[in-house]
Amino acid sequence: MTIAVNGRVDTVTAPELEAGLKFGDATCVVIDLANVPYMSSAGLRLLLSAHKTMLGKGGELQIANVQESVREVLDITGFSDILNLV
Amino acid sequence: MTARRSLNLKLACSVLAAFLLSMAFSWFLHDHLSERDAYALIDRTFDNVQDELADCVNERLVLVCMAAREALEDGHPDDPVSLMKLAHELRVTEISVADEKGDIVRSSVTEYLARPGKPAFNFATTDDEAAKEMMGLVDGRYTEYCQPFRRNPASGNWRKFIGVWRHKGGFFEIGCDAHALQSLARSTCVDLFRNWHVAGTGGIVVTTPSGLVLSDYEEPNREGTQFQEPDGTLFYWKRKEIESFPVYVMIPKGSAAVQRDVLVGATATLNGAALVFVALLVGFVISAFVRQQIRAQAAKEMKMATDIQLSALPKVFPPFPDETRFDIWASMETAKEVGGDFYDFYFTGQDRVLFLVADVSGKGVPAAMFMMRAKTLLKSAAQTGKPVVQAFEEVNNALSEGNSSCTFVTAWAGELNTRTGHVTFVNAGHNPPVVIRGGKAELLKSRPSLALGAMPDIHYRVGEVQLEPGDSIYLYTDGIVEQPDASESLYGEERMLKVLLDPVRTGKDVLDAVLDDVRRYSAGVEQADDRTQLLIRYRGEPDVVSHEYVPTMEDLARATDDLAAALESVPGKAKNKLLVAADEIFANIVRHSGATRWTLSVVLTHHPEGVRLVISDDGKPFDPLIHRDPDTTLSAAERDVGGLGILIVKKTMSPVTYRRRNGNNILSIGKDYGD
Repeated sequence: MTIAVNGRVDTVTAPELEAGLKFGDATCVVIDLANVPYMSSAGLRLLLSAHKTMLGKGGELQIANVQESVREVLDITGFSDILNLV
Repeated sequence: MTARRSLNLKLACSVLAAFLLSMAFSWFLHDHLSERDAYALIDRTFDNVQDELADCVNERLVLVCMAAREALEDGHPDDPVSLMKLAHELRVTEISVADEKGDIVRSSVTEYLARPGKPAFNFATTDDEAAKEMMGLVDGRYTEYCQPFRRNPASGNWRKFIGVWRHKGGFFEIGCDAHALQSLARSTCVDLFRNWHVAGTGGIVVTTPSGLVLSDYEEPNREGTQFQEPDGTLFYWKRKEIESFPVYVMIPKGSAAVQRDVLVGATATLNGAALVFVALLVGFVISAFVRQQIRAQAAKEMKMATDIQLSALPKVFPPFPDETRFDIWASMETAKEVGGDFYDFYFTGQDRVLFLVADVSGKGVPAAMFMMRAKTLLKSAAQTGKPVVQAFEEVNNALSEGNSSCTFVTAWAGELNTRTGHVTFVNAGHNPPVVIRGGKAELLKSRPSLALGAMPDIHYRVGEVQLEPGDSIYLYTDGIVEQPDASESLYGEERMLKVLLDPVRTGKDVLDAVLDDVRRYSAGVEQADDRTQLLIRYRGEPDVVSHEYVPTMEDLARATDDLAAALESVPGKAKNKLLVAADEIFANIVRHSGATRWTLSVVLTHHPEGVRLVISDDGKPFDPLIHRDPDTTLSAAERDVGGLGILIVKKTMSPVTYRRRNGNNILSIGKDYGD
């Protein structure tokens, strides 16, 4: 399944995104960040949590279409090495 | 210098002493050696004389013995009396005949013969080994046998015995005492003694026991135990009796000493050369050591001077992180021999900043000390709020007073009004600075006043210049413009002005560009003087928007919106980074600070364009900059998101500063995003 995120991800918007990240029985989830201009560590927490959940289920989480500003934050924090960026 | 000379004198004296000592040692050594050599030569000569004289004597006596054998075998009576007669005829001392068992059966000496109660002398059983050897004539080992001239152990007489074999078994023997031996052998052997010489002028003297000289060597006069030539030459000598002949072998001392003199001479030359070499070497090593000590001392002093100079200068840039109306950058590169340059800048009022560059005359520690004094005096005078010109006049009087060393300091100081961009300046004999504006770099010429410390009670002229936002003033010392290249021509102002025109971004880039250009220009030439420069850029009044919030999620959302609105004109990339960084800080304040209120100021700065966010809260003290960064290399399972927010702020923003002031945490983060 694919979940498309729209808009910035920060302390204000993260709870809303967290509520939307429901994967059900899916074993392969793609989170599409094409429309996310920037993301703070509040968003990183959600991505890490989702990644761990999918790993626990034996499934896979993919992060797609990462924009430049988001990419920079992922690089600084070392998350690019952990997450499956496609 | 005096110490060096006395050192050299001492060195020369020790070398001379060492030379004389070694020569004396060498002389005694070689004297001893030549004496030893002389006696060794004398001993070898005796061996030689012994062999030749024995051969000569033996040859003669064997013939006499054969004559005795012939007579006796021809029937000469052999009773003792007849044998005595025969011996007398033959001029020998005794004659005996032994049988094949070694018993003396006939003899001119009756004691040898068997008597009642006493057997005859028997050669085979005697204890006398030399006598026993005569049995070789019986068993066929010899046909003739000669004993050396010696004291006979049985009789105690000096004798030489010669034996020849007897046809019907046994042998004939003759014995000669010294007198007999000499009368038989002297005439035969006298030829032998002719032309016997030893060691050049040395000689062999063969005499008879009565002192008659047989050899042709002219015997020197005997003086007690010494032989002496008429010319005073003394001899090494030895006496030995060989086959009854007293023989002297003698070597004149001068002749033996020739070798010594040659050796000592050669040693002297070699020693002299070696000692001169050693002296030169030791001298070189000592002077190198002294020079090295002096150099080390000088280097230490230079290091001290450099340390004094550098320690006094503000070195953290940007020095005023919250300051948005101007930028200031400065650098100093000290020469090997420190030149006493300095730069300085400080606020002299709320909106007034003083900046200056100065150069103390002279070099080394004294210049560094003077520089410290000048710098401290200027700062304390200027920070009382006095106009810069008044500060200069006071400092000049203070420095001139009792300035016996005539050290002075050139300085150019400007005071910028950070609200208006107006600069008032004083030039105390310093190089004119450069004003960079509107794509031009021009020297700010003004009639300079006298250098500080040169003479008291000077009135300093005040200059003025108006800066517009984006304009810069560049200060420098002569270490920049007067740096020579390999052909001794100076770097000069033209080259400097050209570099200053290059559109470079930060103040640091400008200063680096000039230094690089000077270094390129003077490649391979030592730095002549300290290179000191300072650049101040007036940025003008920023646009500031401020809001106050309470620590709730609602206000956090409001602050985010306010910030996004304030940054509307900012390019997207920089804006996103600022929004992310701000979100991290906002979240920290709302969740963890325990604050009751917090504020956000958005400062849009100009020339170059940039943003400062100043965020303050009245919560518990928290300096994010001193917290350790999280480990970003752990695996997903090990990771959590703690600390990542601050890491993101530190990595994406510059400058980031924190202060705790009046119960508030004040965090300032910024970004310049281009001119």
